[in-house]
Amino acid sequence: MVSDEPKQSPSEQRQSDPVETGQNVEGLFSPRFKSLAAMAGWDEESILIASLIVEDTPDRQFKHKKRSDLHFKTPPSASSRRKRRAQRKSPILISVPAISLEEEELPEKQENHQKEKKEIVAKEERKTEGDELKKDDSAVSCSNSVFPCMDKLREELSCAICLEICFEPSTTTCGHSFCKKCLRSAADKCGKKCPKCRQLISNGRSCTVNTVLWNTIQLLFPKEIEARKAAGVLNTREAQHQTLETRSNTGVRSSSIRPSRIQVSRGREELNQDEDLTLLLSRDTSGRNRRGTLSQDEDAESAQSLPREDLARLLRRDASGRRRRGTPRPGQDEDAALALRLQREEFMEAFGGGHHAHSGSSLSMARSNLRAMASRAINIRMRSRPI
Amino acid sequence: MNNSTGISIPGEGGGGGGGSTAATSSWVSPTSVSTSGKRIQREMEELNNDPPPDCSAGPKGDNLYHWVSTIIGPPGTPYQGGIFFLDITFPSGYPFKPPKVVFKTRIYHCNVDSAGNLSLDILKDGWSPALTINKVLLAIRSMFSHPDPYNPLVSGIARLYLADKAKHDELAAEWTMRFAK
Repeated sequence: MVSDEPKQSPSEQRQSDPVETGQNVEGLFSPRFKSLAAMAGWDEESILIASLIVEDTPDRQFKHKKRSDLHFKTPPSASSRRKRRAQRKSPILISVPAISLEEEELPEKQENHQKEKKEIVAKEERKTEGDELKKDDSAVSCSNSVFPCMDKLREELSCAICLEICFEPSTTTCGHSFCKKCLRSAADKCGKKCPKCRQLISNGRSCTVNTVLWNTIQLLFPKEIEARKAAGVLNTREAQHQTLETRSNTGVRSSSIRPSRIQVSRGREELNQDEDLTLLLSRDTSGRNRRGTLSQDEDAESAQSLPREDLARLLRRDASGRRRRGTPRPGQDEDAALALRLQREEFMEAFGGGHHAHSGSSLSMARSNLRAMASRAINIRMRSRPI
Repeated sequence: MNNSTGISIPGEGGGGGGGSTAATSSWVSPTSVSTSGKRIQREMEELNNDPPPDCSAGPKGDNLYHWVSTIIGPPGTPYQGGIFFLDITFPSGYPFKPPKVVFKTRIYHCNVDSAGNLSLDILKDGWSPALTINKVLLAIRSMFSHPDPYNPLVSGIARLYLADKAKHDELAAEWTMRFAK
């Protein structure tokens, strides 16, 4: 019920009707607005076209959708919106939203922003409370038992091939996890069977990273992972020195195998370069992952497999991550803008429809708005026109 | 890498110039060697921290790829009390290629020939990169107590083992006394 209403936003209604009928142009803009437009030097047609084009931009569509979703989740804001809608429908006020066609979006958006922010803050508080509880719970045992437990975890989360903490772990169909790189080389050089249990693995080439495991590892052993990432970047540079060393090394022992190796290693080298690139990229995304997508089932997953104190650590880190990403979103500038906007709105509401035409600021605003719309319209027309 | 010093490397003087590095990296994959080195180093640490029973292993000199190992004959076998030396050589493709293990001490065993080569499945087709030297040594140790006469390297010993185990054990103990003590 609630979700139906906001989908058809009033501004859409106002402007989508004339598209179909083409005759409601008179009713579309209030006389006052038209006079303002005339003062700004625009005829009705161009205003109409401009507004239609503005309405059509996908950016705005997206905003509408987003808003309706949010409204669905938060009914109180929908009710406040209904109020505003009622105001807009009243004939006296009709020109106010028409003037600030572009800007009327902002307060609502920012309201939603604020609500989101509040929700995040609330969540955080809940989280940290839980953290503290858990911390208190395990505080005594935590300091002592983290170390043996971490050793076991390290053992569990090590790759059987390189014997280090799994880097981008990939899990076989038989349930064993190895570094993606290691598993791929094993499949290349030792046949397509699991190194641990020798079961056939479908295809070593298309191994995918087990994200849950990978995120868990990143949370548990951030230092090791960072070191390995750094090593991966340096790898290409180090390679020069190492090849010099190893060349002499292998040159002594394996001169008989050399010719066959040339081809293999050439292929491998290409692979390595690829992997360095993906490593760089994946670092980027994994960083984002850490911030963005620590979903709850992940937490649950790690909760099952981890002892309590480690979970507490995990949650703490998670919470801090959330805090970090919660604050910068609505910046100070945005807050200031919001305050200004709310003030202005209050002012408008308090003085009804009588004042706006006389105030110089609203007139200049209208002028700039129209200009912006028209220039956009022209731009879009130019782009869409076949040459 | 003491044996690397004697060999002159073309392009070394160039200090890693574009042409020379391209030439070198085209025939030895840098990562495979670095991974093998790292892995061997790791195995060494693990062996030092938690050595398997009756076994020891470590690099011979300062070459990480050349190890020497000892296994003490497990009690309850004819090899009891003997100290058996083994040479372990890691290929540059390790762990994707199996290490080469050779007995340096003579032993009367149907799966070890007079040159010291072993017939052990996990050191050939049965190798897996998830196996470590630790596990290889344990497998060799269990070979002492459970010879495999059906896949022998020395068929005479295998036959004797199947026909007359007491005689076989006597001979094995004698060899152990003679060569491994």
